[in-house]
Amino acid sequence: MATLWRLLPVTTLTVRQFSGGRTARLALVLSLIPALFAAIYAARPWEVTPDEFLIGLFRELIVPTLLPIVVLLPATAAFGNELEDGTLPYLLMKPVSRLRLVLGKYAAVLLVTVPALLAGLIVTALVASRGMDVGDLGRILVAMAAASVAAAALLGALFLLVSLVIPRALLAGIIYIFAWESLLGRFLPGVRAISSREYALKVFDGILGDDLSTAWNAALTMLVVAGVCLLLAVWRLRSLQVD
Amino acid sequence: MTETLNPSLNQAASEPASKELPGLPPGAEAVIALRGVAKWYGDVVAVSDLTFGIGAGVTALLGPNGAGKSTVLNLVSGLIRPSSGTVQVLNRAVPGDTTVYRDLGLAGEQEQLYGSLTGREFVHLNAILQKIPQPDVATERTIALVDMTGDANRQVGGYSKGMRQRIKVAAALVHDPRVLLLDEPLNGTDPVQRASLIALIRRLGDEGKTVVVSSHVLSEVERFARNVLVIVNGKLAAAGDFRTIRERMDERDHIIRIRCDDPRRLAAALVVDPVTTSIRMEDGRLIAETNDVRQFGRLVPQVARREGIRLFEMQPVDESLASVFSYLVGS
Repeated sequence: MATLWRLLPVTTLTVRQFSGGRTARLALVLSLIPALFAAIYAARPWEVTPDEFLIGLFRELIVPTLLPIVVLLPATAAFGNELEDGTLPYLLMKPVSRLRLVLGKYAAVLLVTVPALLAGLIVTALVASRGMDVGDLGRILVAMAAASVAAAALLGALFLLVSLVIPRALLAGIIYIFAWESLLGRFLPGVRAISSREYALKVFDGILGDDLSTAWNAALTMLVVAGVCLLLAVWRLRSLQVD
Repeated sequence: MTETLNPSLNQAASEPASKELPGLPPGAEAVIALRGVAKWYGDVVAVSDLTFGIGAGVTALLGPNGAGKSTVLNLVSGLIRPSSGTVQVLNRAVPGDTTVYRDLGLAGEQEQLYGSLTGREFVHLNAILQKIPQPDVATERTIALVDMTGDANRQVGGYSKGMRQRIKVAAALVHDPRVLLLDEPLNGTDPVQRASLIALIRRLGDEGKTVVVSSHVLSEVERFARNVLVIVNGKLAAAGDFRTIRERMDERDHIIRIRCDDPRRLAAALVVDPVTTSIRMEDGRLIAETNDVRQFGRLVPQVARREGIRLFEMQPVDESLASVFSYLVGS
């Protein structure tokens, strides 16, 4: 632990804050909601196969709604909480580059969300997979995990930026998730094309359909957008005024 | 030591050299320099026309609540940008140059700390972020400096206000900065903690560090600072040696309330003395105005003794901070 503090002080501090508060627990509980649906399905299977159930759950619930919310909570809290309670000067008044601060916070967001999301996916898949071929299950799990990590990387950076720009970032994020990702992105092709949902599903479908170049291109696009968001966050942090 | 009263005297027509800045003793170098600084939020002006320098030693930033002291400290620490003018610390512009934070520490006014950390972890985190060579040693040293060794393993979320103040001071001191900014550090401290912090502030000043301490309590400032900057309504009202400013404040007209067993006779005896500017009765008490408060303080008991009048109470009625500050800005 002492070594972690020395090497990654900002990340360690932020993870400690997430663990000490409700953020980390909430992220884990939300990540496990699909497992509840899987348990209902396992108890009284309806007329779909386990792999169809898992794919449907991932496409319709996890990617457009649950995953963004799981990422939203820590990503908006990483800077947002410190801005709100006035502790941010303890980081800003240090000879530490703003890039390091942003990357430290971003790493903390991923450290909290990615394990929670993966845990949720694994439990969900195991609960719903009764009678499923182990190879098929593994393939679906890998596709879900890759798409989730890419989406978490993108949304984590996006929400981190939003928290530095908009005072009520959590509310703005929830509106974005439900209006843009979950609702409009489902029906309007134009919106869908610029939603994280679309790219996450390209990664997912690409891996499942052995179209790795599509998956890779989509993941790369998401990582580039995440990088741009992080650079904008650095720029914003440089000009940020803290009263 | 140069003393300046009233803001009109403080405004520099052009950028003065460091040694000419108000607030600096003759020949002293400005460690902190503000030139023509103003800060506004929309239509609200937080501070304006601030031009002053702060040299080594302890300087008190004095002013009533809401006067703009915290804004000044936030400007100096680079947490906010001036709407106009320039702020320099150790000849480096703030905000902008993050390396200045190697030499600058701030114990701000915010109540909240990282509640899940222990006091020791909090100070240690600051040491690590400052990239000092031996963070463990520095952490223990500064925790001991603020008498927090016994409580350092408790979570800061459970600290009293006084303990939070002290651990904030430790965090601000952990990298041994040349410039230390303390925003109302004595708030919430008990008398023992207060005495200990005042001794620490004085010691740091004696060691040649530049320590800026904001306060709204006149009597408190006297105990640790000779040099003061008085901020009222966002403007520099006075700058210089505390005692000289105090003496000048004593030269103004003072209003004294006197309770005795024969106010009419006492009033008749006092009014003939030239130090009594005016005298009136109010609810059975005398309200006297004097242009020499020290002389008047000697005169009243003498007259009372001579006239055989029993004196019960003598109390200044305009010694509130607000009236003193109003006097300083000449309003």
